[in-house]
Amino acid sequence: MQKIMIIEDDLDIREELALILKNEGYASVIVTNFDCIPEQAVQEHPDLILLDIGLPGRDGFSLCAALQKAVSAPVIFVTSRDAGIDEVRALSLGGDDYITKPYSVPVLLARIKAVLRRTGSSPESVDVLEARGLRLSLTKGMVSANGKTAELTRNELQILSCLMVHAGQIVSRADLIDTLWDNQIYIDDNTLSVNMTRLRGKLSDIGLPDTIKTRRKMGYQL
Amino acid sequence: MTLWEFLSDRSGRIALQLIVAGLTALFLLATGTQPGILIILLIALLLVFLIVNMLDFFRQRTRLLELETILKGLDRKYLFAECIPPPKGLYEQRLFDLTRRAGRAMTGAVSDAQARQREYREYVERWVHEIKAPITAARLICRELDGDPRRKLMAELAQIEANIERTLFYARAENPEQDCLFRQTDLGKIAAQAIENHRSLLIQSGVRVKTENLNGVVYTDEKWAVFILGQLLQNAARYRRTEPIIILFSKSLGKQIQLVVQDNGIGIPAHELSRVYDRGFTGSNGRIRGGSTGMGLYLCRKLAAFLDLGLQITSEEGKGTVVTLTFPAKENLTKL
Repeated sequence: MQKIMIIEDDLDIREELALILKNEGYASVIVTNFDCIPEQAVQEHPDLILLDIGLPGRDGFSLCAALQKAVSAPVIFVTSRDAGIDEVRALSLGGDDYITKPYSVPVLLARIKAVLRRTGSSPESVDVLEARGLRLSLTKGMVSANGKTAELTRNELQILSCLMVHAGQIVSRADLIDTLWDNQIYIDDNTLSVNMTRLRGKLSDIGLPDTIKTRRKMGYQL
Repeated sequence: MTLWEFLSDRSGRIALQLIVAGLTALFLLATGTQPGILIILLIALLLVFLIVNMLDFFRQRTRLLELETILKGLDRKYLFAECIPPPKGLYEQRLFDLTRRAGRAMTGAVSDAQARQREYREYVERWVHEIKAPITAARLICRELDGDPRRKLMAELAQIEANIERTLFYARAENPEQDCLFRQTDLGKIAAQAIENHRSLLIQSGVRVKTENLNGVVYTDEKWAVFILGQLLQNAARYRRTEPIIILFSKSLGKQIQLVVQDNGIGIPAHELSRVYDRGFTGSNGRIRGGSTGMGLYLCRKLAAFLDLGLQITSEEGKGTVVTLTFPAKENLTKL
């Protein structure tokens, strides 16, 4: 399990952040004593550090330099200072990324994943999803079942992968739209319906009609 | 100052001089001075008056021209009294002293006001940064909720954020040079960030956002460009009709790149189009819908001017609005 160190002085934020990271399958260490952070980092040996800039005592910029000397973990600045000059300063001090508050959680998680992948400390991400007899290749955009294959568009691929990740659960239309927007597909309710119809058509072509069930007033279920 | 102005200003004194000359001539005539001598005397006397007055006229005109030039050359006109050479006469020196004292009081008041404004701006910025922490916490806590309440709360939080952003940029627009940082930026990144910032509003409004061919590279301040684009997206989502679509695409115009934001909303009436950038102008659409502040486009225009960003709006009532942002070519930026 990858360990993420949270250096943040706002109690609510760091507790929630730890919880979210735990749900995403990361281990997290919260720094509560802001006196000798580099030493704590050496002890904990994290894979990644989330660093706030406005900290009691020493500010995040100088801390970043000290951390980089102490451990090799990548640093992501998380701060409410959003002037361009701060970002440049953070990145020139060796920060690996810079996120401004208030951030959206999917964005934060995506950035964490990207930094971990870039610095090579991430296990290979999954390329193939399997559920209910379906096999979905995310990189090729192909779905196969019963020896037959169908090619999916980008929208259909995202819809199906979201349903497969939550196989068996009901996924609401609003959640689906949220997931699609996370992936920079900006569609509305009607377009989702159209895409859903096409996706069902393709699935029935490869011999799996009615795999995606409509649950009235609740959403879809695989 | 023209000669005529000078003469009419001096009319009293000149009349007095003429009367004195006339009375002297009468007196001398009565006491038996010969008319020939009298005429020579009068001519000499009038000549002296004429020369004195002409000298006065030229001296005053030169002085005024000099002061005029100094004032024109001054960056801060209220420092005028500090910059002019002191006059010679006692009376004028006293006047000059009074003016200078008044000027100093004004300089003090101006610098006090500037300091207060700077402090206020700094306070607003600090406040904005402080308020972001609880909003971030609220967002994280929201994740624990399910479905509808979460979405609604997220939308409300997004609304709060959008308002706070406007406050921050309003404060920044006063001294833009302090925060502005021109860098090479991907147009697609600007668009994605602006859409992400306002996704709650866009999704809730049922808007479909199409992005086409947004792979240009522009030279601008990313944060400001995202803010400006965000205002345009908010407007497009607010003033929508049924089945709203927003299309974002880029065009190249010689060395410049244009970003076009096109919607199929209610549009802006032609006679209001020239006033949409006015501070506080909400227009008939804003009055009917309510909730408009009239600040969005005002700020856009102000910030765009500083970024050297062209901002052009065309609209047809009932059909939609097209906003074109023209990013400056790299070569032109060195002039800024």
